[in-house]
Amino acid sequence: MIPSVVKSLRVTIPFLMFAAVAGSAWCQAPARPANIPRIAGGKPDFNGIWQAIGSANYDIERHLARPSLMLRKGPHSQIAAVPLLRLGAVGAVPGGMGIVEGGKIPYTAEAQKKREENRANWLDRDPEIKCYLPGVPRATYMPFPFQIIQSQKNFFIAYEFAGAHRDVYFKDPGPAETDSWMGQSVGKWEGDTLVVDVRGMNDQTWFDRSGTHHSAKLHVVERYTMMTPNHIRYEATIEDPDVFTAPWKISLPLYRRMESDARLMDFKCVEFVEELMFGEHRRKPLERP
Amino acid sequence: MRNRWIVSNALVISLAGIGVAADSHRTPDGHPDLSGMYDIATLTPLVRPANVGGRMALTDAEAQAIAKTAAARMESQNKASDPNRAAPPTGGDGSEGAAGNVGGYNTLWVDPGQGAFKIDGKWRTSIIVDPPTGRMPEMTPEARKRAGERARGNRPNRGDAWWIKEGVSPGPFDDPEMRSLAERCLLGFGSSAGPPALSVLYNNVKQIVQTKDTVMILNEMNHDARIVRMNAKHDPADVRRWLGDSVGKWEGDTLVVDTTNFNDTPALFGATRNLHVIERFKRLDDRTLLYRFTVEDPTVWTTSWTGEMVWPVTENRIYEYACHEGNYSFTNILRGARLLEAEALKSMSKK
Amino acid sequence: MRKNSKSIIVIAAALVGVVTLFFADIQKVYAHHAFGAEFDPNLPLLLKGPLVRVEWINPHTWFHVEVTKPDGTKEVWMVEGGTPNSLLRRGLKRDTLQPGQIVIVDGYQAKDRSKRANGRDVTLADGQKFFMGSSGTGAPYDAPGKEQRK
Repeated sequence: MIPSVVKSLRVTIPFLMFAAVAGSAWCQAPARPANIPRIAGGKPDFNGIWQAIGSANYDIERHLARPSLMLRKGPHSQIAAVPLLRLGAVGAVPGGMGIVEGGKIPYTAEAQKKREENRANWLDRDPEIKCYLPGVPRATYMPFPFQIIQSQKNFFIAYEFAGAHRDVYFKDPGPAETDSWMGQSVGKWEGDTLVVDVRGMNDQTWFDRSGTHHSAKLHVVERYTMMTPNHIRYEATIEDPDVFTAPWKISLPLYRRMESDARLMDFKCVEFVEELMFGEHRRKPLERP
Repeated sequence: MRNRWIVSNALVISLAGIGVAADSHRTPDGHPDLSGMYDIATLTPLVRPANVGGRMALTDAEAQAIAKTAAARMESQNKASDPNRAAPPTGGDGSEGAAGNVGGYNTLWVDPGQGAFKIDGKWRTSIIVDPPTGRMPEMTPEARKRAGERARGNRPNRGDAWWIKEGVSPGPFDDPEMRSLAERCLLGFGSSAGPPALSVLYNNVKQIVQTKDTVMILNEMNHDARIVRMNAKHDPADVRRWLGDSVGKWEGDTLVVDTTNFNDTPALFGATRNLHVIERFKRLDDRTLLYRFTVEDPTVWTTSWTGEMVWPVTENRIYEYACHEGNYSFTNILRGARLLEAEALKSMSKK
Repeated sequence: MRKNSKSIIVIAAALVGVVTLFFADIQKVYAHHAFGAEFDPNLPLLLKGPLVRVEWINPHTWFHVEVTKPDGTKEVWMVEGGTPNSLLRRGLKRDTLQPGQIVIVDGYQAKDRSKRANGRDVTLADGQKFFMGSSGTGAPYDAPGKEQRK
C-alpha cells in the first residue's frame, strides 16, 4: 500500500510543476476564463479604460536601464547628451524585459543602421516629441490611458495621447484609400479574441522612443483577449518586408484603470509644442536652447 | 419568464402592426440606437437670412431653387478651365471670406451641403429657432466689445503688414496663440465638433457609437471624439476640457447631453468657459436623427438660444484628419508676417 | 465662370435674393486656414510642369510641381489644395494623380516668398479639373458608388 503522503505527493508535485510553468508563461493560452463580463450577444466586454504598465514606450526590446534616451560617449561610459543632462534621473530610461518575443526586432542590416541613427538623434526625430499621432501598436502602450467603447456593432478606441482614436471596421472596406497615422483597422472575432488587421499606416511613426522606424508597408495584426475582468492580453504580429527580415511579435498585458473616477483627460498636446515648433517665428522670439 | 416573453412579443407584433419597428433600432437595454454615420452638411444657415421676412420655412420653390443653384454652381466651377489662361490679376482677385483675395482653392475640395434641410415638413430658413427671429440674441456689453475688437483685426488681404503701418499692437500675427484654434490645428473651425456641432464648409461627417454607459460622438475635424458619460455627474469645476465635459441621460426616447466645464477657448465663436450646451438627439426615422441644442453663456448672450437640424445617415465614412501633423500653413503664415513686417519697417525708415 | 447652355437655371426674381443669402452663411465662409493670411495678392503666378509628389494630407493637400525656369533650371513649387477627405468620399483615390502628370496652376505666391502658392485653380494640361464625376459635371457624389467601384 502506498503511503498517503506519497500518494498526495504524486499529485502535488506535478501540480506544483504545472503551476510554476503556467505562472511564468502567462502569455500561453490558459483555460478559458469563465468570469469575464460579456456584452449582449455574448462577446467579451472590453468596455472601459485601460493602460499598459512598464517601459515599452521607452524601448520595446529587452533592455537595461540607461542614462538617457539620447547618449554621448563620456570618459568612462555613455552619459546623457547635453540637451537632456539636467533631467538627471527623470530623464533616465527604466529597464524592461521587453515586449518583443525573442528579445530583438529582426531589422535588416540597413534598417538597423537607420534605427541606430534615429536613436542617436532622438530629440530631433521622435514623432512623440512633436505630439504627432502615435500609430499602431505604439498607441497601445503609451504611458496614457485609452478607452474602449464597444457595442454589438462597434469597437472604438479613444486614446488620451493626442486625442488619437481608431474605429475597427467589421466589414472590410478594401485596401486603405490613403495612408494615415493610425491606419485602417479591420476586425473579426476568433472565439473570444478580437483580431484586428491594421494596414494603411504611413511611415512616420515609431514603435517606441528608441528609433524603431518602419515603412508604409507596415502590417500589424493585433489580438485582444480578456484574461480576467481587469486584464487584457494584447498581442501583435508585425511585418514589413522593407525593414524586417521576418515577421515578429509583441505581447503585453493591459490593465483596467480601477479608480471610480477613471477618465481620459485632455492631452491634445498640440498647444504644448507650439513654442518648440513655431516659437522661432514669433514677432519677439523667446529664449531658446 | 414565459409571461414576459408573451407580453414582449405581443408588443413587437402590435407595434409592427402600426408600422413601428420595435427592435430594429433599439439597443439591448431598450433605448433607441443612435449609432451610425451621419453627414450634417446643409445649406440652411445657422442664422436666418435678413430677407426671408422672418419666416421659419422656405417655400418648396425656394428650397428647390437653392438646391438647383448649388448644383449648378458646382457644375459650373468644376468645368474645364482655359489651358492657356494667364496668371490671376495683380492686387488680388477680389475673392472674399476664406478665399482671402487670392481665390482660395478649387470648389471641388469643399462639400458644404446640397440644399436646405426639412423638419416637420418645413424647409428651414435657419438652424436657430429660438429666439423666434432665427437670429442670435443680444450680446452682453463686454461680449460686444470683444467682438468689436476682433472685427477691427480683420482686414482684407492686401499683402502688407497693415498693423505696422497703423501702429496696431499687438499685431494679429505676433504669436501662434493669437491665431485661430483652427489654424493652430487645435479644434475644427466653425464649431464643427462644438458642442454644439454645426455644419461647416466640408468634412461634416459624424459617427455615434453607443453603449449603456457611454455615447461617443466622433467629429472628423479635428479628429475629436466626444465621450458622453451616461447617468453621471459633471467633473469638478476645476477640470476643464476643450470639448467640455458631457454627461448624458435618456428622457424617454431622447438622448439628452449636458456639457459644461469648457476651457477658456471653446470652439463656438465668442463663447467663454461659462458655456453650457444642452443637446437632444432623437431618431426621426431609419435614416435621420433630429439634433436640437440650447446654448447658454450669460457672459456672452443675454438669453439662451436654441437650434435644430437633422443628422441624415450617410454610407460614407470618416477619414483621419491629422491636422497638426501636416500643418505647413501655420509656419508659412507666421514666416510671411515676419517678412512683411521687416519690409514695412524698412520702407517706413526710408521715409 | 462659363455658362452652360444645357443647364440654364431659371429662377424667379423673387427667389434670387433668398438663394443668394443662403450661400452667405457665416459658418461656411471660413475654412481651416485663412488664405488671406498665407498668400500675397501682389504676387500672382502661373505654374506649369509635371507633378513630382502629392501629399494627400490634412489640413491641406500639397502638390509638388516641377517648374522649368526661362534659363532652363528646374525648381519645385508646393501648391496648396484642400482636404483630401471630401475627395476620398467621392471615390478619388490617392493614385488618381500620378507623378509625371502635367498640371497647370494659377494662384498667388506665399507671403514668405518661399516657393509655395495657393492652388487657386489646379488643372491638367488640357484645362480639366483633376477630379471629374462620371457624368463629367464633377458634381458631388457623381462618381460611381462604392458598390460599383469594387
